[in-house]
Amino acid sequence: MSRTGTAIYEINAMETLAERDQWMNHIHPLVKFILTVGYIAVVVSFHKYDLIGLLGMVVYPVAGFLLAELSFGRCLRQLRVVLPLVCMVGLVNPFFDRVPVWIGGLCIRAGVISMLTLMLKGTFAVLASYLLIATTTLEQICYALQLLHVPRIIVTQILLTGRYLTLLLGEVNRMTQAYALRAPSQKGVHYKVWGSLTGQLLLRSIDRANELYESMLLRGYDGDFAYLGAHIRLRGRDLVYMAVWCVLFVLLRRVPVILWVGRIVTGV
Amino acid sequence: MDIRMEDVSFSYEQRSESGAETLRHLSFEVRGQESVGLIGANGAGKSTLLKLMVGLNTADSGTIRIGEWPVKKEYLPQIRAKLGYVFQDSDSQLFMSTVYEDLAFAPRNYGMTSQETDQRVAHALELAGISHLRDRQIHRLSGGEKKLVSIATILSMTPEALLLDEPSIALDPRNRRNLIRILNSLDELKIIASHDLDMILETCTRTILLAHGEIICDGPTREILQDRELLEANGLELPLCMQKIDR
Repeated sequence: MSRTGTAIYEINAMETLAERDQWMNHIHPLVKFILTVGYIAVVVSFHKYDLIGLLGMVVYPVAGFLLAELSFGRCLRQLRVVLPLVCMVGLVNPFFDRVPVWIGGLCIRAGVISMLTLMLKGTFAVLASYLLIATTTLEQICYALQLLHVPRIIVTQILLTGRYLTLLLGEVNRMTQAYALRAPSQKGVHYKVWGSLTGQLLLRSIDRANELYESMLLRGYDGDFAYLGAHIRLRGRDLVYMAVWCVLFVLLRRVPVILWVGRIVTGV
Repeated sequence: MDIRMEDVSFSYEQRSESGAETLRHLSFEVRGQESVGLIGANGAGKSTLLKLMVGLNTADSGTIRIGEWPVKKEYLPQIRAKLGYVFQDSDSQLFMSTVYEDLAFAPRNYGMTSQETDQRVAHALELAGISHLRDRQIHRLSGGEKKLVSIATILSMTPEALLLDEPSIALDPRNRRNLIRILNSLDELKIIASHDLDMILETCTRTILLAHGEIICDGPTREILQDRELLEANGLELPLCMQKIDR
């Protein structure tokens, strides 16, 4: 499969995941959205040398993946492009932060600790976001944004961008396939046709988007997805789920759970 | 529901370089529960004519009335609630992630409750004979299934008239047969633009032949589709079922 074909497949696979009839998928989208944002905020708030404290925050993605029956391997495969970028962010820290730190008789630079902390923060944030989009459809996320009083025009933009993304990729896929079939010995697209290919892509995408918009207009769309999430109700279990995680986040932020567990295990 | 066109002309630009009109002085009326075939060679103006009826294009001159409303910007919401338009390309029509969501799009926009929406969706799926596809994802459907879902999305609006642009295009024989069965089972007014003359023969009692933006002929389907000379003069051929097979 071509790279664009793979991208389309993965987007569709994420939608399939988000539409499963699974316990986590039925949690109110606003609860999941607030928890995700809250979790990322807590993770980011850890001090750059508080690696041990930060490690405790692994509980949320791990528990989330288990509850949602998500495959961690599949997640890593799908995030194979993003995660290395996230991890690269802290790579320069060891060169600038050279203060020596002793850990169990081993002397390392403080920059290494801050690098690992930064990498972990990024990874946790990405995993939490993955957990959200793997259990919540784009429509539900937009509904949560509406409840948070994000301007409707922005919510509509997000929703339609999500819809048009696959169309755009579909056009790219068709055009590159047509090109490859008539240029079998070439790797990639020759730079001389980049201009016309991009121009064609733009025109075709505009046409297709226009037809979709017409189809929406003909079925009563008036610029507003007011019904989004009209059938979703906030239930008691959603509030319990949110309360439990909020308490855990505060606890994990205030108490170095991993350190305590280590002490209990090692008896030190 | 009646559809009436009086002296309607339309051109894409000042729109086209030549300035030639796409549709010229068209006048006709479709009444009640008629089923009308709109035939003509490529570029005859069939799709343009359908788009004029739902206000996706605006006529340069003449008047179009859908029921009691003239096709004008201020009446488009009422008109579009009564007319169901099925696009030639199903991928242009279907934009939600699942079949249910796509069928529920119109009822929700028209303020139905979730219970009413559920009923509308179930009824439309049943009419189209695709109840089993209710929770399927659109991107996993075959071309034939997408076409039937496209029609069902319109049926969920309970329209009084259906406008179908090349509904049988890219369908295999079984799906095409299924489509004909569904169309014949619907009592609403239907205008079907198609090159598939065999399908027109089976679904429409009246046919309008367009060529170069003008109405060449308007009459009973059987009469028009048996007239070899007329069809060939306007870039068409006899329906396959009427052609002799030469060996």
